[in-house]
Amino acid sequence: MTKSSLTSFFLPGILILAIYMTGCGEKPAEKSSAPLPPLIEESQLVQPKEIAPPQPVVVSEKTRETYQWYCAQCHGTKGKGDGVNSKFLTVPPRNHTKADYMETRTDEQFFEAIKFGGLSVGRAPCMPAWGNTLEDSTIHELVRYIRELCQCEAL
Amino acid sequence: MKKLLYTIILGWLLNTPALANASLIEEKKCSVCHRLSQEEIEKKGPDLFYAGNKFQSLWLEQYLQNPKTIRNAGTSHNTDFLKYEKDKSQKHPILSKKEARQMTEELMKITLPAVPEKMDSLKPLTKGKKAKTKYEFERTFSCISCHQSLNLAGKVRGGISGPSLVNAGNRLQANWVASWLKNPKSFSEKSRMPIYKMDDETRWRFTQFIMTLKNKNSQ
Repeated sequence: MTKSSLTSFFLPGILILAIYMTGCGEKPAEKSSAPLPPLIEESQLVQPKEIAPPQPVVVSEKTRETYQWYCAQCHGTKGKGDGVNSKFLTVPPRNHTKADYMETRTDEQFFEAIKFGGLSVGRAPCMPAWGNTLEDSTIHELVRYIRELCQCEAL
Repeated sequence: MKKLLYTIILGWLLNTPALANASLIEEKKCSVCHRLSQEEIEKKGPDLFYAGNKFQSLWLEQYLQNPKTIRNAGTSHNTDFLKYEKDKSQKHPILSKKEARQMTEELMKITLPAVPEKMDSLKPLTKGKKAKTKYEFERTFSCISCHQSLNLAGKVRGGISGPSLVNAGNRLQANWVASWLKNPKSFSEKSRMPIYKMDDETRWRFTQFIMTLKNKNSQ
């Protein structure tokens, strides 16, 4: 076998081996350093809403006043769902003293309903979002206060 | 010398409010129930220190002669507000036509430095945009829970803890509505209304929608 015939015999094999080893000119390690462009830009992704984990909180006097100032307009001064607006709403405001219902909801659901409004937790749109009016810490205290009113915890 | 003294005394007398007809606001003691400056503590009547920014003068003149209830649960600073026990003896005084005109003139001069909004240059709401805004008024921002407005059938509907918006289009100035929606707390620290961070387009659309609410549209 001549040198040229040897070359023509092995060359395709060498080429295939080279392609296989280099992976079309890219080592596997290099793949991660130059990833494909993502299908969706990070900015387009819907970020999950950040909800602080429930922590033991003490209801301050100021938060009790906050309930009287804002919440009592619909939920009533004692939280019985009988505030001045209650008769005029399509869906009656929640009675915060009824443990039967209140214990079926989690603190996170209450927090979200207050911060983002009733619709955010699949409830009535009559309840507005208070997230631009009240601090998260106040909302956590309001959740605790509601638990005081119903004298119940989430099941 | 005597002549000079008489002139000074006469000049002083003519300049006293009672004789010079200087201020009907003082004479009628509006400040007993209304704040006339932001520095005062909250009072039971609506604030008047931005009356000239807020009200339409024609409406104001008519209201002073024939005061009709706007806040059906009373004003939010009344101690009995949440008990829904309006103090019926506390009705707004009725002014004569002449007094109402003068009072309106005086009140319209009480203004805050207003931030101009682009309300005048906006096109009127299309039917679709009005419907969209009405939907948001009731569902997205829950305004209807505290404010009466008109439903599609022209009927009055809504909560009563906030002032009625049924005749807002005749009562309020668009520029003021847009400023209030931006931040109610800039007018009153003690407002019971939630703060909405609306973008300008939504805020102006809401203002236009509120300005369409007029008594003549009710049935």
